[in-house]
Amino acid sequence: MEAPQYVVARVQQALAEDGRTHELGIRVDIRGDQLFLRGQVSGAEQRERLGQVAHETAPELHVHNEIKVVDAGAPGEDEHLD
Amino acid sequence: MIDLRIAAVGDIHLGEDVRGQYRRKLEGIEDRADVFMLAGDLTRHGTLEEGRVVADELRGLSIPVVAVLGNHDYHSDLQYEIAAELRDAGVIVLDDDGVVIQCGDKKLGVVGGKGFGGGYAGKCASEFGEREIKNFVSHTRYIAEAWKVALKEIVADHRVVLSHYSPIKETLEGEPPEIYPFLGSYLLAEAVDTAGADLILHGHAHKGSEKGMTPGGIRVRNVALPVLGRAYSVYCLNCEDEFHSHDSQRQAG
Ligand SMILES: [Fe+2]
Ligand SMILES: [Fe+2]
Repeated sequence: MEAPQYVVARVQQALAEDGRTHELGIRVDIRGDQLFLRGQVSGAEQRERLGQVAHETAPELHVHNEIKVVDAGAPGEDEHLD
Repeated sequence: MIDLRIAAVGDIHLGEDVRGQYRRKLEGIEDRADVFMLAGDLTRHGTLEEGRVVADELRGLSIPVVAVLGNHDYHSDLQYEIAAELRDAGVIVLDDDGVVIQCGDKKLGVVGGKGFGGGYAGKCASEFGEREIKNFVSHTRYIAEAWKVALKEIVADHRVVLSHYSPIKETLEGEPPEIYPFLGSYLLAEAVDTAGADLILHGHAHKGSEKGMTPGGIRVRNVALPVLGRAYSVYCLNCEDEFHSHDSQRQAG
């Protein structure tokens, strides 16, 4: 069986290089036959695409898509640089 | 009196599926800032379609908009086409050069470009060995030199550097240290410290931290949208006390 570290690297590379996703900052963890995706993206569709690409890259694992969709809020307080 | 208010963000990574959403968050920006700066990674894959979405989101704002591209915007080898789309929409796109913007009675000089990697003093790549490594480092060196020249040439009341890659490692805190050499280069900071500037804005490090400073004491802000957690931040250069109280009243109201 392939060492989980190599599978993690392969999934991470796929998320970064696959034309559907190109997402660099996603954390991938494998425990047994479970694969966990964590991180933040700006839209629900991108989250689904990431789950799909991870699934295709490691079809033997059960993917838990724990990626959070964050909506950029309204601008906050100004910073004064004096 | 307010001297100069700069709204800034990086890494908005727009695509067709979120068309119109970012524009809605820019509502009222002209009341909050004198100029809007974008620190690269405006698209996800650097396609022309995404570039057009970005151009449409930024089109017709009533304050000047200045942008640089990021590595994502280069991915499809369409960086010049994307820059042209943005320029058509009225955005000033910097590519290792500078521009002077009139903001009220003040002149704001902005110098910048994508920047590049290489790492930080003591733990960085050097121009030695294989051609590939030498090309990598000399690309950053070339950029740093261009910024230094542009900064020295510009005549303005304030000077801001706009980059995608980070000039310092403080604002990378939160990113794994192993990838720092791909996130920026100290050569960028060295060039700006030599020529002088009031503020450096960058993006790229989505998991980094907002605030840092160059060895020469120039303030650095990582404005990557995931770092800010909001549509943009506003930085005021030389704001006087009167503005502080005025601003807090406005926010309370
Ligand atoms: Fe980015
Ligand atoms: Fe980037």
